[in-house]
Amino acid sequence: MNIDITGDIEQTRCPEIIKILSLGKRTGRLGLDNGGAAGNIFFADGRVVHANCGPIKGITAIYEMATWTSGEYAFFVDDTADSATIDMPVDNILSEVADRIRQMDRITSLIPSGEVVYTLDPDIKEKGIALKATQWRVLTYIDGTKSIADIANILGVALFDIMRIFYTLIKMGIIKEGHQDRTEKGELALSLPETPFIETLVKALTNAMGPICPIIIVETAQELDIDLTTDDVEKLASLIEILSSKIPKEDIALDFLKTMTDRLKLEEENR
Amino acid sequence: MKGKIKDLLNIYGVEGYVITTNKTMQIKIPSKYKTQNTKKQFRDLYKNITEEKERSGNIIEVYLEDVMVTIFINGSTIMMVLSKKGTNQAILRMTGKLVIAGLAKAKGK
Repeated sequence: MNIDITGDIEQTRCPEIIKILSLGKRTGRLGLDNGGAAGNIFFADGRVVHANCGPIKGITAIYEMATWTSGEYAFFVDDTADSATIDMPVDNILSEVADRIRQMDRITSLIPSGEVVYTLDPDIKEKGIALKATQWRVLTYIDGTKSIADIANILGVALFDIMRIFYTLIKMGIIKEGHQDRTEKGELALSLPETPFIETLVKALTNAMGPICPIIIVETAQELDIDLTTDDVEKLASLIEILSSKIPKEDIALDFLKTMTDRLKLEEENR
Repeated sequence: MKGKIKDLLNIYGVEGYVITTNKTMQIKIPSKYKTQNTKKQFRDLYKNITEEKERSGNIIEVYLEDVMVTIFINGSTIMMVLSKKGTNQAILRMTGKLVIAGLAKAKGK
């Protein structure tokens, strides 16, 4: 197996190499490696017959590699494909690739790379949003820890296609760039102090509002600028008051108030 | 904590209360705050508050020179609590909410 041509993708992008090999009616395998992913395009007498890029096969693999802007390539003469997944004139492939590169330029103006992590945006502005099934599938994986590339790998979809979906979701205002700190268990890392007061608070508020309560406690304390380790009864009482106002059902809010007023009185006695 | 008037009076600094409904009025405040017109003043205050339909929220706090008046509203029942300025107002509001809820519930029975 002879290497005929080698070079940097930065200097000669994938579509140009395809064009050169096609015009030269070459047979062999063009191997591309961008450092994070690798793929191959197989030629037979100048026709593109097969391509693969990780789990992606066929024309989609070419579309994926065509958008790479860095890495290396090498052409292996007479290394033939063991399957044929592409039956499309090279001119059509190049035309489609050019279109994808234009789209990619637009996408990268908003999403700098596939390594970016996104999280759901709680401040959604639209009243109603309709999602396509593919967008919904991607959305279910967006958790503030997985990068775009991670999600592409999980779904076995080309990075370009995933980035296009991310682009649409960003434009819809559903997601935003950002990490969420997570523990090894994958739970939100909330540093709630282990004091008797906080333990009672978590228990009472969980009864009232469900398992989301630790997040509500931390957020409310931040809003009020209250340190949860404080023994200042007045500050703790303000926190309880605001938390109780967030409980939608009045009778449940009153039960919560009862429990926490008793607890606060104990705190006051212990001072 | 049972949400009774006694709970409210046990809070440090609470000096008294006035509970007003559309038919009754119960006044328990220190004599230094009482005047000949006390009952009429509270009745007028009750009318003013209950006539205001657009007000949001159910607690009004009035800071006076040497006393704090906290007014709890639940439907046609209003409770005004007088307390010293050093009173923990958050605990007072929490307990007051429980008491007014209890009073409204008892009235509904």
